[in-house]
Amino acid sequence: YSRKLIATGSFNLWGFTYQQQIFQELHEKDELVVISRGLGLLRLVTNLLHSYDAAGNNLILLVGADERENGWIGEALAEHAAISMAPRARGLSVVNTDVMSVGTREKMYTQGGIFSVTSRILVVDLLTSLLNPERITGVVVLHADKIVATSLEAFILRIYRQKNKAGFLKAFSDNPQPFATGFSPLSTMMRNLFLRNVSVWPRFQMQVAQSLEGKKKAEVIELEVPMSESMRHIQHAIMECVEVSIGELKKGNSGLEMEDWNVDSALHKQFDMVVRRQLDPVWHRVSWKTKQIVNDLSVLRGMLHTLLTYDAVSFNRHLDTILAAHAPPPGSTRQNQSPWLFLDAAHTIFDTAKRRVYTGKAPQSGAESLDALRPVLEEQPKWAVLADVMEEIDRDLYFNPVPRDDSNGTILIMCTDTEQCRQLREYLQTMHVHSHAEARDQDEQEEVDEHEEEHEPSAEFMMRRKLRNYLKWKNQFAKISAALFTETQKALSGATNSKSASTPSSRGKAPANKRRRVRGCGNTGTAPSRATNGSLQASEDKPLEVAALMSEIQPTEVEAAQKEEVVADPLEDMEDYYQLYDMQDLVVIHAYDGDMDEHILEEVKPRYIIMYEPDASFVRRIEVYRSSHNDRNVRVYFLYYSGSVEEQRYLSSVRREKDAFTKLIKEKSSMALTMTTDAQGIEDPQEAFLRTINTRIAGGGRLAATAQPPRVVVDVREFQSSLPSLLHGRSMVIVPCMLTVGDYILSPNICIERKSINDLISSFKDGRLYNQAESMLQHYKSPMLLIEFDQNKSFTLEPFADLSGSLSSMSSSNTSSDLQSKLVLLTLAFPKLRIIWSSSPFQTAEIFEALKTQEPEPDPIAAVRVGLEAGQQAEDQTFNRQPQDMLRVIPGVTGNNIKNIVLEMDSLKDVANASVEELDPVVGKEAGRQISRFFKKSVIEE
Amino acid sequence: QALPSRATGSGSSILVSPRQKGNPILTNLRSFAWEYSDIPADYVLGQTTCALFLSLKYHRLHPEYIYNRIRNLQGKYNLRILLTMVDIGNHEDSLKELAKTSLVNNVTVILSWSAAEAARYLELYKSYEHANPTAIRGVESKGYAEKMVEFVTVPRSINKTDAVTLVSAFGSLRAAVNARPEEIAVIGGWGEKKVRKWCTVVNEPFRVRK
Repeated sequence: YSRKLIATGSFNLWGFTYQQQIFQELHEKDELVVISRGLGLLRLVTNLLHSYDAAGNNLILLVGADERENGWIGEALAEHAAISMAPRARGLSVVNTDVMSVGTREKMYTQGGIFSVTSRILVVDLLTSLLNPERITGVVVLHADKIVATSLEAFILRIYRQKNKAGFLKAFSDNPQPFATGFSPLSTMMRNLFLRNVSVWPRFQMQVAQSLEGKKKAEVIELEVPMSESMRHIQHAIMECVEVSIGELKKGNSGLEMEDWNVDSALHKQFDMVVRRQLDPVWHRVSWKTKQIVNDLSVLRGMLHTLLTYDAVSFNRHLDTILAAHAPPPGSTRQNQSPWLFLDAAHTIFDTAKRRVYTGKAPQSGAESLDALRPVLEEQPKWAVLADVMEEIDRDLYFNPVPRDDSNGTILIMCTDTEQCRQLREYLQTMHVHSHAEARDQDEQEEVDEHEEEHEPSAEFMMRRKLRNYLKWKNQFAKISAALFTETQKALSGATNSKSASTPSSRGKAPANKRRRVRGCGNTGTAPSRATNGSLQASEDKPLEVAALMSEIQPTEVEAAQKEEVVADPLEDMEDYYQLYDMQDLVVIHAYDGDMDEHILEEVKPRYIIMYEPDASFVRRIEVYRSSHNDRNVRVYFLYYSGSVEEQRYLSSVRREKDAFTKLIKEKSSMALTMTTDAQGIEDPQEAFLRTINTRIAGGGRLAATAQPPRVVVDVREFQSSLPSLLHGRSMVIVPCMLTVGDYILSPNICIERKSINDLISSFKDGRLYNQAESMLQHYKSPMLLIEFDQNKSFTLEPFADLSGSLSSMSSSNTSSDLQSKLVLLTLAFPKLRIIWSSSPFQTAEIFEALKTQEPEPDPIAAVRVGLEAGQQAEDQTFNRQPQDMLRVIPGVTGNNIKNIVLEMDSLKDVANASVEELDPVVGKEAGRQISRFFKKSVIEE
Repeated sequence: QALPSRATGSGSSILVSPRQKGNPILTNLRSFAWEYSDIPADYVLGQTTCALFLSLKYHRLHPEYIYNRIRNLQGKYNLRILLTMVDIGNHEDSLKELAKTSLVNNVTVILSWSAAEAARYLELYKSYEHANPTAIRGVESKGYAEKMVEFVTVPRSINKTDAVTLVSAFGSLRAAVNARPEEIAVIGGWGEKKVRKWCTVVNEPFRVRK
């Protein structure tokens, strides 16, 4: 195929030798390709797929593609087919929901073509032989880095390889990090993928470098923008909060390995996730406080980002909501609140953020409110730079008006998200509007006369508008949060709880707080005050002052005149990702969007690109774009805040990718050795287990010898867990079915409900487990609850709240919140329910095998019928999980009436809009009233 | 010190078999009075509830022991707890065996990892002797704010702050459910992903249709 394709690659797809070589390799052998992000991975995949598509008569599976990738590949394949006019090409068929009936799916599979099937559906179709693995021509795997031994994708590949040795298998990844962490990760991954060859293509690889650097380079202008002083202060204060939070975490979890937790790791894009992952093995045992702090870290990380991207007003508003949402729960003491809120640094964050918006001294007596509050409205430093750049481009365009090349002469501005897109659009539209100047034509902007009063571009207009909205909002929000959290505040100020022993002592400290407040900011009236227990509370500015501020920023004449013309309705054009408008030329503002960015570059053909925020893979995309179009000139402006997390993050992401590739190449060179030692050196027992079983099945001897292999009926929803895969590895026949009662049916008598610890906690909370146990008992002789711990997590339950005291000395609410207490209640309510404790899914597989011996095999048809009412079809029982989980939270919804709701009503929206009369026949009057009240309750008018 | 009720009869105290003498669990039984009594089980925790204690360490040395004890119960008691102390490292085989046993011999296995925890289980069984299972039937009463936040934050990407901003922007949950994506997108903190998630989850039918 390769020759033919290289000939048809008419649109610059084969400009690079490295791409040609990868393609060649892929045609010669099965392999894993790991490539730097931004070097055109999807293009490679579509070319490969098209070559098979064009040949026709194939059945190809695309595994692991997400929705957007399906869209991308589908479009690209259609385009390829149109260009090459391949008569047999059928394009991509996507199977991603249960909506397509079994019959439709079967028909599609027999027709052949290229299929992207959601893994959960694919595994079921393969197991039920709806899709016969022997018929598959080949499998293409995306995101190979995510494939661990117990994943669904690994399960799919195992089924495929067991029955089909001839088909091809190619895997791709543009994320080298997972291949380079842990002990010989590459060979482990290769085993999961059933592959022996790997091909590594980092940006620094010689061929890649030559391809991208050999020809004319893009003209890049790097602009280092200093942060404003207050931004620096805030960033510093946030980092301090992060540091203290991490310190608290260390204190509270001393038994854990946390040497490498420091503020530097806070610069990582997802340091809260890193922390989360470290704590994950013991997550069900960590204290409430630890969970709270981990949560705080996410909030703080978000703040680091919004500080750079939001304008000063929006940032302050964002902080207001954070503060409101972190209001302490009723009856809480200092012990169970976010520790960072107690820091001076937190005070600095909130105070400085506010002073970027408005400032002023609180009137001494309330009389002299003249200079009470003044707007400050600090602008983001990048805005001015952006304005400069635009002016420079204007000049450039003026001198070279007609583009001499194939580009469109367009200016492309890239930023992180649509929020930012809106902000930049508004800024660019209004930067020449001045509230105090005389009205002037916009055209006049061209000639900047130095003798006239200066008209630097500014965001004043936009910021004043934002401030007006903010003040309006704030007024309302204060009421809302008061309405929402009144119980909270009452409980706090009452301090009646005998447990809050810390209250008197902190009250004693009150003067200290007051002093700090004055010293800290000097505007007592407007600073957030501290609650009796020392945490920050949102403060209300005095109405009079706000009114003064409000009048200060009333629209001036000019503004009023401008308003109708330019103030963009932020809602319009939301459907489109980017907004177009006329300046001198076309300016496109777009948010970084992964692989989609390639399309943007190709479609827009920009002559100028402004990267408003740094993004490593986009830099590569520009390189690829630039090098594949000799006839287009691109000038790139690259903006970043110096000394900011943004800069650090960019640098470290580049560095980490490079390190990962280096490691990967090293392991590759020594891999021949590891591959032969096989089962040795596998650290994970689950993997070792699967590995040994594999060879056994591959030999075929054992399966053939047993007359009837053991059979387990498994609910299709269970395929999200690794247990079915492990059972399959244990040479049991898996029969996927839609079950109403139970998750696993081992025999006509044994029905098992599987719960991980987290499931167990949540299903106790909403009463789900109680109902499940009830219906299992109704239909099976030996119902069992399987409590399954994670392989990597510790095998103990959450500690009791307080083991030292006696039971009677504890309040009743405290004991009944323990997981163990609930287990006791469950066993008392259902003495016939057995409990199986398993330390890992792998262990569960063994237990299942033991339980099944000497039991007859289960009957799948009977298992499906169990629990269905007369006339009901099993297919009716496919529910969407999340809307149901949300239903359960609603007051009035119980384990009993939820069934009626999902059968009688359509969606959450349906329930939310239903009147009491409409709800009455479904759930009864009282429950209906509760449900309706929950949705209708207004937080504003109270 | 002040025990809930003086140990007067078997009704309000835990009955303990003399076999359990020396078991550290007994020193941890603080909330209920207990007394030695000649019973086939190790502990009697109510009219129809009893418990047998088993240390996995002991079980490994004397695998027959527990079966004899179960047999001696002679089918009495409705709920027979096998209170198992996990005091060895490689517990897998033993626990697998006990799972099978629980199926065959009608005992309910409860694991504990310390004497204090085991004692607490005994106390809980005794104290819940006459309790209703309301605590596990999902009928907790909570304030509106808490329920509202819980409702909105079911999709994983949506957090507490988002819940507050959402409802305060639209005034009520009903309005928030009916809001158009572009109206939600202008709220601070609500990026595309969250907006898409929220709109999908409120519009998606409960039942998947063919």
